Amino acid sequence: MVAERVVKDLQALGVDLEEVPYERRGYCFDGRVQREGILGVAEAFDQHGYFIEDVLCVDFVNELELVYHFNHWEDPRRFSIRVRVKPSDPEVPSISSVYPGAGWHEREIHEFFGVRFKGHPNLAFLFLHPEIEAYPLRKGHVPIPEEDRKVLEGRQPEGEEESFWINMGPQHPSTHGVLRLLLKMRGEFIEEIEPILGYMHRMQEKMAEVRTYIQYYPNTARLDYVGPLAFSMCFVGALERCCGVEVPERAQMIRLITLELNRIASHLLWLGTYLLDLGAATPYFFAFDDREAILDILEGLTGSRLTYCYYRIGGVYEDLNDGFLQKVEEFIGRMRKRLKDYDELVTGNAIFIGRTRGVGVLPKEMARRFGVTGPNLRASGVGYDVRISEPYAGYRIFGPEIAVRGGCDCYDRYLVRLDEIRRSLDLLEKAIRRVPEGPSRAERIPKKPPEGDVYFATESPRGEVGIYIVSDGSDRPYRLKWRSPSFSNFVSFTELGRGMLIADAVATLGSLDLVVPEMDR
Amino acid sequence: MEVRGPLIRFGLLEELLNLARANSLWPMTFGLACCAIEMMATTAARFDLARFGAEVFRPSPRQCDFMIVSGTITRKIAPVVRTLYEQMASPKWVVAFGNCAISGGPFVFENQYNIIEGVDKIIPVDVYVPGCPPRPEALIEALLKLQEKLTGVRRFPVPERRW
Ligand code: SF4
Repeated sequence: MVAERVVKDLQALGVDLEEVPYERRGYCFDGRVQREGILGVAEAFDQHGYFIEDVLCVDFVNELELVYHFNHWEDPRRFSIRVRVKPSDPEVPSISSVYPGAGWHEREIHEFFGVRFKGHPNLAFLFLHPEIEAYPLRKGHVPIPEEDRKVLEGRQPEGEEESFWINMGPQHPSTHGVLRLLLKMRGEFIEEIEPILGYMHRMQEKMAEVRTYIQYYPNTARLDYVGPLAFSMCFVGALERCCGVEVPERAQMIRLITLELNRIASHLLWLGTYLLDLGAATPYFFAFDDREAILDILEGLTGSRLTYCYYRIGGVYEDLNDGFLQKVEEFIGRMRKRLKDYDELVTGNAIFIGRTRGVGVLPKEMARRFGVTGPNLRASGVGYDVRISEPYAGYRIFGPEIAVRGGCDCYDRYLVRLDEIRRSLDLLEKAIRRVPEGPSRAERIPKKPPEGDVYFATESPRGEVGIYIVSDGSDRPYRLKWRSPSFSNFVSFTELGRGMLIADAVATLGSLDLVVPEMDR
Repeated sequence: MEVRGPLIRFGLLEELLNLARANSLWPMTFGLACCAIEMMATTAARFDLARFGAEVFRPSPRQCDFMIVSGTITRKIAPVVRTLYEQMASPKWVVAFGNCAISGGPFVFENQYNIIEGVDKIIPVDVYVPGCPPRPEALIEALLKLQEKLTGVRRFPVPERRW
C-alpha cells in the first residue's frame, strides 16, 4: 500500500513517525519533523500522489505548532505532520512550490499567527481588514509588526504592460456572495487572478475558543448555510470520536436521511443559481420549488428552514415525527419525475452545452495539488468520497454509490451533481426502509472532552469538511480549525482561470459551487 | 442614523408619487450571507415577492431604490455597503434583514475584531426584520410595512384579531 511506502521514505528523511489509533484521533500517522525538513517531506508525499488536505497552526504560547494534513485518494489514511517553531523566530520554509494549495493555507496562517513562510511568493493579507492591531488567533495580545502588514487594496499595471487590471466583486451578481477578484486582463483573456477574501470573515475559529462547545455548536450551521448539516455532523462527530461516545443505530440512520436530504437541497440551490448565472431563469424557479419541498420535510423535523441545530452529541435532538418517512418517500417519487424535466430543460440545451463543455478544465493533477474535493473532484475522474473512505453516521451501514465523470469541465461538474441527486435518492429509498427501532440518543455523554487532539471529516455537498480540535480538557476548545472545502476548491481557480475568457470565468466560478462565508469562516 | 425629509413638499402630487414608488420598489441583488438564501427563496416560486410589487432585482445600485441588507456586516464589507447605499437613486429605503444586520447576531462576543454590530451604524434603516434567518414571509411583511410607511395605509388587509 502507498502508506507503507511513504512511511519508509519519511523515516529515511528523519521524520519521527508514530502510528496512532484512528478511532480516537481521526488520523493514522503522527509525524514530527524539524522545520528545515518540511520541504523534503512535502516532496515525498507529492511523489506518492498524496493531496494536501489542510495546513493549520496552533499556538501553545511558548511554541507554535504547524500541522500539515496529507491524505491519499486510493489509500485514505491521513498523515498529520507537525513542525514546531519558537514564537520569537517564527520562520518556516514554504511548501507552496510543491503544493500550491498549501500556499494559500500558509498565507492564512501568516496573517492569523504571524508565522513567516520562507520562499512564499506573496504573503499579503487575505482575510483581515487593514486596521487590525494584533494577530487574532494568538493567545494573548501579539501586535502585528508593520513590515508584516501587507494589505492588498487593488492593483495597477506596472511599467509598459499592455494588460490591465479589472475588479470583480465584492458586489457582483455571479460571485454568489461577497467574493472579490482582481483580474489581470489582456483583452478578453485573464492573465492573472488575485483574490481578496475576508468580506464575510465572521471569526468562527476565534469564537470557538471564547465559547463552550455547546454554546458554539449552533454556529456550525452558519458556516455553510446551504448544506449546514454536514458541518454540524462534523463538529458533533469529532466530539463523539474523542469522547468515545457510541451513537445508537437509529440516530445514525436519521442522520443519514437528513444529511442526504440536505445534500439534494444544496445541489438544487446550486443548479438554480448556476443556470441563472448562465442566463437561464426558468430552472431557478423549478429548483427552488423542489428545494422548498425538502425544506418542509426538514422543518417539520428540526424546526428550522436553513440553519439547523438538530444533531446532539450522541444522537439527534428529537426522534422522527409521524409521517416523516412517508413524506420522504413522496418526495423521492416527485423528485425522480422532476429530474426528467431537468434533463429535458437543461442537459441537452445547446446554449448550455456551448457555455460549459470544455470550459474550466480541472485536471486530476491540479486538483491534487490544490486539495480539491467533492463533486468538483469527482467530475475530474476521481472517486474519492469521505462517505466511503471514512464512513460516518449511517454510511457505516450502507454507503452511497459514487458518481464519477471524467470530463473535468463545467458540464461534467453539472452532470456529477445531477447524478449525485439520483444516487442520493436511491440511498434515501434504501434508508427509509431500514430505520431501526430503539433510542435516538445515547444515554450518557461526558461533559468535557479529554485532553488531546482529534480530526473528523464529513462529505458536505461541496467536498470534504474537516474539523481539527485541540482540547486542553476544559469545556472550551483550545483551538478549533475548519477545513473548508470551498476554500480549497476556490484557490484552484487562481491557476485554473489563467488564460480563460472572462465570460468563461463566470461559468467556471459558478460551477465550483462556492459558499463564501464558509471560505472566509 | 437620521435622514432629513425633503425641503419642499408637493402635497397631493407627493402622495401620488409615493403610491407609485411603494408599488414599484426595485430591490438590489446583493446577498451577504445566510439570510440572502432566504431572500432568494422569497423571490422564487413559492413565496413570489413579485405579487407585492418588488420584483425587479437589479445588480446595479444605480437602478435600485430598495436595499435588503441580508447578512453580517464585517468591517471589510462595511465601506462597500455604504458606497452601494450612496450610489442608489434617492429616495431610497433599507431593510435590515436578519439578526446580523440588526445587531451582529450570533457573532457578537467580547473583543470581537471583525464585525459591525448592526447596519444602522453605517446607513439609515427603515424596517428591521428579526430572525436567524427570518422566514420568507417575514420579508414579505417587511415589504408591506415599508409600503405602509410610504403611503400611510396598509395595503394588505390586516388580519382580524381573534384573541
Ligand atoms: S442573522 Fe443568522 S442567518 Fe442571517 S446572516 Fe446572520 S447568522 Fe446568517
